[in-house]
Amino acid sequence: MAEPIVAGVAESDLGETPDRNWLDNAAIATVRALEDAGCSLSDVDGVAVAGGDDYMPALVLSEYLDLDDPSFLEGTEIGGSSFEHFCGHVGDAMARGEADVVVIAYGSTRKTGPGSEQSLEETHPIDGFVRPTGLFRPPGAYAMAARRHMHEYGTTEEQLAEIAVSTREWASMNPKAAHQDPIAVEDVLESRRIAEPFNLLDCCLVSDGGGAVVLVSEEKAGELDVPRVSVAGVASTSTHRQDISEMPDMTTTGAAVTGPKAFEQAGIAHDDVDVAQIYDSFTYTALVTLEDLGFCEKGEGGAFVEGGTTAPGGELPMNTQGGGLSYCHPGHFGVFVLIEAVRQLRGDYTGERQVDDAEVAVAHGTGGLLSSSSTVVLRREA
Amino acid sequence: MSAPVEDRREEWDGPVPVPTGATAPFWAATLEGELRYQQCDCGNRQLYPRAVCTACGAEDPPFAASEGVGTIYTYTVCHVPGEPGFAERTPYVVGAVELAEGPRLLALIDADPESLEVGAPVAVTFWQVSDDAAIPVFVPA
Ligand SMILES: [Zn+2]
Repeated sequence: MAEPIVAGVAESDLGETPDRNWLDNAAIATVRALEDAGCSLSDVDGVAVAGGDDYMPALVLSEYLDLDDPSFLEGTEIGGSSFEHFCGHVGDAMARGEADVVVIAYGSTRKTGPGSEQSLEETHPIDGFVRPTGLFRPPGAYAMAARRHMHEYGTTEEQLAEIAVSTREWASMNPKAAHQDPIAVEDVLESRRIAEPFNLLDCCLVSDGGGAVVLVSEEKAGELDVPRVSVAGVASTSTHRQDISEMPDMTTTGAAVTGPKAFEQAGIAHDDVDVAQIYDSFTYTALVTLEDLGFCEKGEGGAFVEGGTTAPGGELPMNTQGGGLSYCHPGHFGVFVLIEAVRQLRGDYTGERQVDDAEVAVAHGTGGLLSSSSTVVLRREA
Repeated sequence: MSAPVEDRREEWDGPVPVPTGATAPFWAATLEGELRYQQCDCGNRQLYPRAVCTACGAEDPPFAASEGVGTIYTYTVCHVPGEPGFAERTPYVVGAVELAEGPRLLALIDADPESLEVGAPVAVTFWQVSDDAAIPVFVPA
């Protein structure tokens, strides 16, 4: 894999975008990210899209943007981790000289748009086993995994809540975040029950919105006046999909595989990581991922996040835009994980919002029902 | 084994299984109060039913009857209905049950949430929800 350079990142409008569809939001994010990169639409020769409400999203976005001969097309759907996964394929394509400017894009109207639920018709033999249980997915599925973690390791609801609290602290400094008012552990514990052990504040919010990341080749980066943030390591895997009971061990995710691979590829150790953007569809998602990536021992995620470890000023700044729990969550959050990692490495912020001299970031995506994992290591070059 | 099969066709408003292909023998057995899993000649045991064995690749691995008992691997109490027909049932319990024979199965647990814990023994019963299928529902054993 060549190491692509991230030249630009952007979001579309977030929150509620009733006059837009998923494609509008993906396209708006794309043109804003290109502007951020100092590129134009005519430079784009590759498109990678996932999660759009269309089964040929890369073709649809290419047409919408009227791209001329896009040579790299990618639409692998592995849920929220798709965008991290794309980074590796883009690197391969650039190594082959297949593309120089690739846009990774996402858009949705998860909040105001028509439901994206599939029809009641069975699409998989497992549906007959899962749907009649009435399990509220995804929250109930993640909650079952969290319950097992609590049983095996003594993790507590208070510890899960710490993640929501720390994340909200970061969100309070982000004008784009949906929820900015500080919260305490008690607020999380007293919020409405959703699927035990999760309460409302253990769960990501639901919003509209889109995001895009522009990756360019080494050669193209030389022509642009952008800070050099490179993709230094990427790895992906999956453990299951449709049914959480198919997950081999609900207390260990695919991040236990992808973390070590991506770290090794990038040649980094945990001490080198200055900032972490960890998919937080639920508090447990972030907690178990921190363990599996090796930031603490297995089973010690609860103790690790106590005392503001991932909050502003903490040892491991995490989800510094407010995460899926407080900033936005239009369904596939993975693209926003990359965007924030890049902004931190470029030093885009001021004050406490900016992690001091951040040089190495980890961006981790999770998809499905804890089903897929993809880890990206990003590095700011001198 | 033969577990109780309760006829709930009249009151069931939730999704119903659609027996097809590899799952048809499983659902047919549920109407008789039998919980089946696939037991391949290679020794592998699996659920949900598939057209191939996930260990050796054999096609259409044969079915065997489960004793219908197991333990709760984990569970959640749903306070928000996840499917049509579940609104009046909240809160209700969904568990991942580890059968004594090995395979794991997602299922409704018909029990007081307060009385449950991970590792607790459970036994299968069936609720017939259509002419073609009875869903496995577990109760404390
Ligand atoms: Zn076999």
